[in-house]
Amino acid sequence: MDMGKPLDKHTLDNWYSMGLTLPALIISTVFILIPIVDSVVKSFLQYGVKNIISGKPGVWNQFANYRALVQSNALPNAIRNTFFFVVFVILFQFVLGMILALILNSNVKGARFFRSIMMMPWVVPTVISALIWMWLFQPQYGLVKYLASVFSFGKATDVAVLNNPDTALIGVSVAALWKQIPLMTLLLLAGLQNVPDDILEAATIDGAGKARRFFSIVMPYMGSVIKVAISMSIIENFKQFPLFWTMTGGGPDGATTNLAVLSYREAFVSMNLGSGAAVTTIWMLLMIVTVYLYNKAFKTYDMT
Amino acid sequence: MLLVALVALGCAFGAGSKEAAAPAQSGPVTIKVANYALLESGYEQFWKGIKTGFEAANPDVKIEWVTAPYGEIMNQVINMAGGGDKVDVVFGEIGWVPGFEDAGLAAPIDEILPAEFIKDFYPDVIDSFKIKGKAYGIPLYISPYVLYYNKDLFKQAGLDPNQPPKTYDEMLAMAEKLSQLKDKNDNKVYAFGQTTASVPVSGSSLTAMVFNFGGQVLDANGKVSVDNEGFKQAFSMLQTLDQKGYNPQNAKLKDLRNLFALGQLAMYYDQSWGFNGVKSINAEAKNFTASASPLKGGKGSGQSLLQAHCFILVNNGKARANATSKFVQYVINEKQLNDYLANLTPAYPAKKSMASMEGVANNGVLKGAAASAGNVKMQTFIPALNDLNLELCTLAQAVTVSHTNVDDAIATFKKNVATKVK
Repeated sequence: MDMGKPLDKHTLDNWYSMGLTLPALIISTVFILIPIVDSVVKSFLQYGVKNIISGKPGVWNQFANYRALVQSNALPNAIRNTFFFVVFVILFQFVLGMILALILNSNVKGARFFRSIMMMPWVVPTVISALIWMWLFQPQYGLVKYLASVFSFGKATDVAVLNNPDTALIGVSVAALWKQIPLMTLLLLAGLQNVPDDILEAATIDGAGKARRFFSIVMPYMGSVIKVAISMSIIENFKQFPLFWTMTGGGPDGATTNLAVLSYREAFVSMNLGSGAAVTTIWMLLMIVTVYLYNKAFKTYDMT
Repeated sequence: MLLVALVALGCAFGAGSKEAAAPAQSGPVTIKVANYALLESGYEQFWKGIKTGFEAANPDVKIEWVTAPYGEIMNQVINMAGGGDKVDVVFGEIGWVPGFEDAGLAAPIDEILPAEFIKDFYPDVIDSFKIKGKAYGIPLYISPYVLYYNKDLFKQAGLDPNQPPKTYDEMLAMAEKLSQLKDKNDNKVYAFGQTTASVPVSGSSLTAMVFNFGGQVLDANGKVSVDNEGFKQAFSMLQTLDQKGYNPQNAKLKDLRNLFALGQLAMYYDQSWGFNGVKSINAEAKNFTASASPLKGGKGSGQSLLQAHCFILVNNGKARANATSKFVQYVINEKQLNDYLANLTPAYPAKKSMASMEGVANNGVLKGAAASAGNVKMQTFIPALNDLNLELCTLAQAVTVSHTNVDDAIATFKKNVATKVK
């Protein structure tokens, strides 16, 4: 019996690679791609809880979900709050994380111990972090109010960070910073430890000062680490929900309603899943554009 | 991931075969009761006792609890129903009824409960549960928003602890004196508490305040109707309270209960059963707490909004509906609720035959507000009631913490709510 020409090694390798990739491909399609497409489709439909329970499909509603979001000013407000939060948190997170990483990298006494302690906020569940900070910001007996009163010699008696629309978003951002700075520090520290000492020594011999060495050698060598760390932070803060929902529920007066809160509120409080999907679709597009622009703007070079 | 997928598929097929096998099932009928209260301190023992007692009295019926925290129980029930697993009973609040009815989960009570049982309830109360002429919930007990006040703080401020305010003007005059007080730790004492935080129950409380002033939020057809004096006066009053520093800003009911229990709040509006929350923080609170009817404002007569803890019923076929009927009749009964209303959850019975039960007649905390139970106004049920309530909270926050002019804030409210309430 003619078995035909045997497959060459290259073809077999290809089949083998495809076989290994297939489970990941199927799972990504079933659990990521299809839900995304389904969500985008539902964003154009009148689709509520009744549809889920009765099994009836949604009804095309001429972009009513999107129109309602824009008309009520809810969407522009949520986009504004989301971007403010992302930029504020990343900026402070990077600066403070870098300062801490530089301190820990300078062989200061007790650095190993401090490195272990420092990770504690990161391992605390986000909802617990939110509750801790709510308690600290509590307007009647919170620690922040007490400290403000002590340091102002009793003049600041009415410090209600989360109740004031002008400061509530900052309050949530502080909680996010407390939780996220340890990871940023750890990543930056790992990057710092990979900066070659011989290059730094050569620069020192050539007369480069600390600042020059930092900006011309350390930062470029850390480029890829910084890029990944900030990308992770953008995604983490773009989708931040538990801190907002637990600490303020989106209030006061919409001051902390970000896209995550708006999406949850539309889908699971208003029980309007179509509208929730519309927010999610816009949210996803904005995140894709933001990460794309960030990657475009932040070019890294191979320093090795 | 693959394992998760396989487990999920297995569960799905497993569930399917179980459903298919259900009609052939013999033996006791199991009813599923969704109940958030089992996760709340103080209530667990009562509900466990109900299960034990009911199953002993009805060996042919078993109860299976479905639990989730208060804020998540609706989603839990809906998610289960989406997967084809419907509960039989939901223990919830009157404000949840339109949402469940709109989702197609609530059955008219007369489909499940016998007419003579329903007939014993006050007709006005049953009417409050009606949507298009059919009642979709049955109350365990009822309450308007009552005014709780601290008799000790009244005495300290030189006020008569047996003469609580009857109108908002009287309240403001008393609040001026009460707000001068400090607690024993030198903390500020707030004079008057009205919840405004972004949770639906705060919106219900704000609606009750609008009713105090003779205003309305929705008309009889469920359309938004806020161009009335009472509505504006209620939010102007909130602004006044905020400007004078009388009302704790952006507070949830649980925050107000906390402050009241600690002696840092002199008066506040709450559902009558909110006192259980106060008592759980400070057991001594019963010694200084008294209640009064809601205040009269403007041309209003101090009407309030009826609140109720109720059962919402789902029709899952004859066998389960019969078991559900037995369960509801077992719970809403003087024997089960007397101690509960006397010691755990101060409230008024919804059944005529329970009117003189000892737990209510001799309830010292509720005595002052007894007249208020008859001075309630119905809120028209609409599916988007939660949305409306949350928008009312945003309006309250606009006139308080955001210092927005009342007219401007109402104009924004009307614009926002127009997209939600058709």
